[in-house]
Amino acid sequence: MLAEFKELWRFRELLFSMVQRDLKIRYKNSFLGFLWSLLNPLITVATMTVVFQLILDNHTPNLGAYIFAAYLPYMFFQLCLLDSSQSILLNIQLIKKIYFPREILPLAGAISNFIHFLLGILVLFAFLIVVYIFFPGAGGVRVWPFHSGIVILPLLLFMSFSLATGFSLLISAANTFYEDVKYIVAVLLYLMFFLCPIMYFSEKVYYSLFNSTHPWFYRLYNLNPIAALCTAYRKALLDPQPVQVGNLSDASGHLVLDAKGQPIPLMKDAIGMDWKYVAIAFLFSVAILLIGYHVFNRLKWRFVERP
Amino acid sequence: MEVRGKAVSDPTIEIRDLRKQFRLSHTGSIKTALLWWRKRQIEHLEVLRGIDLEVRPGECVAVIGRNGAGKSTMLSLLARVYRPTSGSVIVHGRIAPLLELGAGFHPDLTGIENIFFNGIILGLTRQEIRKRMDEIVAFSELEHHIDAPVRTYSSGMLARLGFSIAMHVDADVLLVDEVLAVGDFEFERKCFAKIDKFKADGGTILFVSHEMPDVRRVATRCVWLSKGVIREEGSPETIIPLYEAGDLAPGVAP
Repeated sequence: MLAEFKELWRFRELLFSMVQRDLKIRYKNSFLGFLWSLLNPLITVATMTVVFQLILDNHTPNLGAYIFAAYLPYMFFQLCLLDSSQSILLNIQLIKKIYFPREILPLAGAISNFIHFLLGILVLFAFLIVVYIFFPGAGGVRVWPFHSGIVILPLLLFMSFSLATGFSLLISAANTFYEDVKYIVAVLLYLMFFLCPIMYFSEKVYYSLFNSTHPWFYRLYNLNPIAALCTAYRKALLDPQPVQVGNLSDASGHLVLDAKGQPIPLMKDAIGMDWKYVAIAFLFSVAILLIGYHVFNRLKWRFVERP
Repeated sequence: MEVRGKAVSDPTIEIRDLRKQFRLSHTGSIKTALLWWRKRQIEHLEVLRGIDLEVRPGECVAVIGRNGAGKSTMLSLLARVYRPTSGSVIVHGRIAPLLELGAGFHPDLTGIENIFFNGIILGLTRQEIRKRMDEIVAFSELEHHIDAPVRTYSSGMLARLGFSIAMHVDADVLLVDEVLAVGDFEFERKCFAKIDKFKADGGTILFVSHEMPDVRRVATRCVWLSKGVIREEGSPETIIPLYEAGDLAPGVAP
């Protein structure tokens, strides 16, 4: 594995220019160009926020920022995996003609998606500042949105990158031989979206009726490294604040209504960063990177000879 | 005598008992792979069956033979696109493969951007490419189109750009697969002149061609491949008549 890595290092200039090519081509023929990668999450988060606040009556303050903070790492993961499934096949004519370390192809895709992810986080910061200045919370009290938890952001970014890159290497190699893989990946990613705390809070899982009788449920939920990461980004970037986990109901399960006949939000204190699950996700992401790199190197010479 | 810091007698290309098998398995989908992984039948096709060849600096070796003789496979093995099944291929120095013109071009990038990208794949740094840029553009005669995306290029223009890049990367070994007859007459003449200069400077060329006049024109040695082995080897004057006669003789398997 070390020899392979040395060879990759020798070709680092090619990797950089592949990333550059990737970034250049993606929006070359579109009018808004690079802005698309920033507009896309903004529009999605705005829509989700409208749905939750106005339709599903979720009254968590500054909900948009919380959705944003979890949606960005998920979107990075998703785009990385979807791009990687095609990265070898789209360039099969190139690798049939000329030698270079084949892992450069999925790596370049992962890096260019990672750059978009970093830009997305900058947009989130801009969003937080705009909210701080123009939309003060209840009673006009402005709360400075950044706190010390942000220092672990580099660690979380590293985890996201190695998780996504490891899976990218595995998927790009597998899809070269079995093209069913990309459809399976697309379906799994779609389902995974619901199993990650993006449209809801992980506290919601913890305080759920099912978890109160089956406490393994919350633990199992957080063993999913992507779910754990989404939660960790939220805790690192945003202030812990009470989250709405449902509506107030009496002992028999009927909703308690206020004077206007509206349900009363049931707020619970946020759970702090759970380092246990971050550590598990960390080990998982490093392991998947090493496994992915190893498997890819074992298979890469057979790409050009695929039946 | 030394050329480019190497003694002339040292071969730049050393091929020893080179064999290459391809798997012709029919396990194309996950379903068949899962259902039949125990009983799967993998057919092997042995394309190269023991090749030994040495090529020295300043030599230009033409590989001839019928379709399916293993010529392109041999060039791909030299370009490190394939891994040998057994035996070894050693190439000393930088290889510039011209296996298919324009293979590494991206249609949406401009000519300039593609020169950078291609040059980097071939092992140059940005700095070195910048230094050679004017020369590459001038040789390809694409001054007026170099800032346009290459999807707007004709096949002749792509061929000129690809050839021009490959000739300007200071390669020690040039691998050419039937791509010489690409430009117009004038450009072809320029290409041959460039190839002659490359040879004179101690470069090594291995090329595959079906055009016997081209072989006579540039090759110093001729290798006739047939069914994965070298059938005859020698000067073009002696091999080409044999090849043409053997190829046409009725009832004789080539």
